[in-house]
Amino acid sequence: MRPIPAESEITALVGHQFPGGTYKIEHWENFLLTGCTGAQLLPNGIAHPVALFHVPIMGSNTSIAEMFELGQAESDLSIIPESYDWEMFESIKEEVTYDISGKIIAAERRQNEQGQTYDWVQFCFEMTSPENLLSARSTITWQYTRNTL
Amino acid sequence: MSDVENSAEGSAINCTVGDTHNCKVGDAIPEWVMERVCPERMRTMAAILRDPNPLHWDRDAVAALPLGLGARTINQGPLGLSYMINMLHAWTGPESVRRIVMRFPQVVLDEERVVAKGVVIATREERGTLLADCDIWLEHADRGRLLEGSATVALVTRS
Repeated sequence: MRPIPAESEITALVGHQFPGGTYKIEHWENFLLTGCTGAQLLPNGIAHPVALFHVPIMGSNTSIAEMFELGQAESDLSIIPESYDWEMFESIKEEVTYDISGKIIAAERRQNEQGQTYDWVQFCFEMTSPENLLSARSTITWQYTRNTL
Repeated sequence: MSDVENSAEGSAINCTVGDTHNCKVGDAIPEWVMERVCPERMRTMAAILRDPNPLHWDRDAVAALPLGLGARTINQGPLGLSYMINMLHAWTGPESVRRIVMRFPQVVLDEERVVAKGVVIATREERGTLLADCDIWLEHADRGRLLEGSATVALVTRS
């Protein structure tokens, strides 16, 4: 098991900017995603909002694995999702290319009610339409547990 | 049938889109039922998400954890969240959801039957759109609330 990182290494993550990039949800991807939710495809090429988890991550040119690594996760099993906050300013559509940016907006060392140390990291991603309108924002908050497994 | 065939086997109960104009605080949102959380869908989801976490596709990895969950895979958080989105879509339409905030107090396991539920806690008008703020949650008959959070949906746009 890897050692607990210094608190300063965690707090230094604030402001970390991902490279950014673009992402287009293709029809096949929306079909599979929507099927996983148990719903029917939405009309008019609307992508199922469940895409707001991975599309911002991949579109900003990072990955779940890299996000685990940035917080120096002890293992893939040590991450606890605390909350997901998805704001939709318009419907996300299939076959539309969005500009996506992402950064770490908060990172702190905390203790839970049992006195166990964990690191609390908040990521924020924004999707912008070809018309240069903010289409959606995804804020992901994860707990990087330490010495609990 | 393919595991990801878009057949909408989740079911909305007593729900009519557009039946929301007179909604008021305290109204219950029509429930949406996922009869069986499928491990195969978690695998498809893990591949699309490029999610390396074996909890979503390796029952042995879950069984090895000191959590007493047994040999069952854990549903991805976004998938559990999506059942509540499906509930909201069935209630107010596919373009109605403005915001959803979700917490994950308990895991959702493969083969479970879960029910998305919600209640209106406020209504307001914002830039000509009537909005409803709702408490929403995903419920298991024995384990209670597995996911819980809030949502804002547009009830009707006023021109």
